[in-house]
Amino acid sequence: MDIPVVDSKISPERAHAIFQQEFFPHMDAMYNFALKLTNDEDEAQDLVQDTCMKAYRFIHSFEPGTYAKAWLFRILKNNFINDYRKKSRGPSKVEFEWVEQSITGDEDSEPAFQADLQAETVNEMLGDEITAAIQALPVDFRMIIILCDLEEFSYEEMARILNIPIGTVRSRLHRARALLKVALSNYAKTKGYV
Amino acid sequence: MKTNCTHQKECLQLIQRILDKEATAEEEARFLANKDQCLPCQEGYALELSLKKAIKDKCSVSCPSDLFTRIKTKLFLVLILISILIPLFC
Repeated sequence: MDIPVVDSKISPERAHAIFQQEFFPHMDAMYNFALKLTNDEDEAQDLVQDTCMKAYRFIHSFEPGTYAKAWLFRILKNNFINDYRKKSRGPSKVEFEWVEQSITGDEDSEPAFQADLQAETVNEMLGDEITAAIQALPVDFRMIIILCDLEEFSYEEMARILNIPIGTVRSRLHRARALLKVALSNYAKTKGYV
Repeated sequence: MKTNCTHQKECLQLIQRILDKEATAEEEARFLANKDQCLPCQEGYALELSLKKAIKDKCSVSCPSDLFTRIKTKLFLVLILISILIPLFC
């Protein structure tokens, strides 16, 4: 077993207490995020486990009382980008770029379309169907939808987690939702919801 | 009641900011006052709200209990090892 190098100023007892009080309450959210990013249960489990080990390794940089969930999500996201993204089953970077160009052309532009979708149709859809539509999105769009709509982070927190300007958070979120609505609208038509 | 919104792009952005709790109180009040008179804004608001609610309510999964146990065990072992090793090197 690799023993993480850790700041000796944090005692093992203190580290244990921080995990119990601050980190473990967010395990469901972390697993949810990891699963949506990797699209694979085994990889999601590995990603969450690696994230916890990294959280322990860097626990000296966590300030108790600050937002532990955002701190953990940032580690998880970096871990995913550095170690898991290449092997994830999600769309490739090439597909992502193609979709980005097909929507607008640059980060600050508006989506070029509106989906033909009604609230009632969304209400009738099952969770698995909506999850499948989210997981079909390019990973950067998937990530921002989960952070905002599932985990309810603020734009400022998302900007910190994703390390992007807040204006990019707004435009990326807007376009992610536009893409999701188009995907759900197409799905609804094929399944006879509309 | 308007059946065509001339500011649809701006209204859609505002609707999303309102539902994300990122709009100012003035922006929200202005939109809500206008919404009753504009059908596309009403429908847009209902769609964005239902989508956000569906993602929140229907797309969550729980962390598998064996994963949680495995992580706790691994951390516990690491902490025990560190507790044993620290006195040897200090």
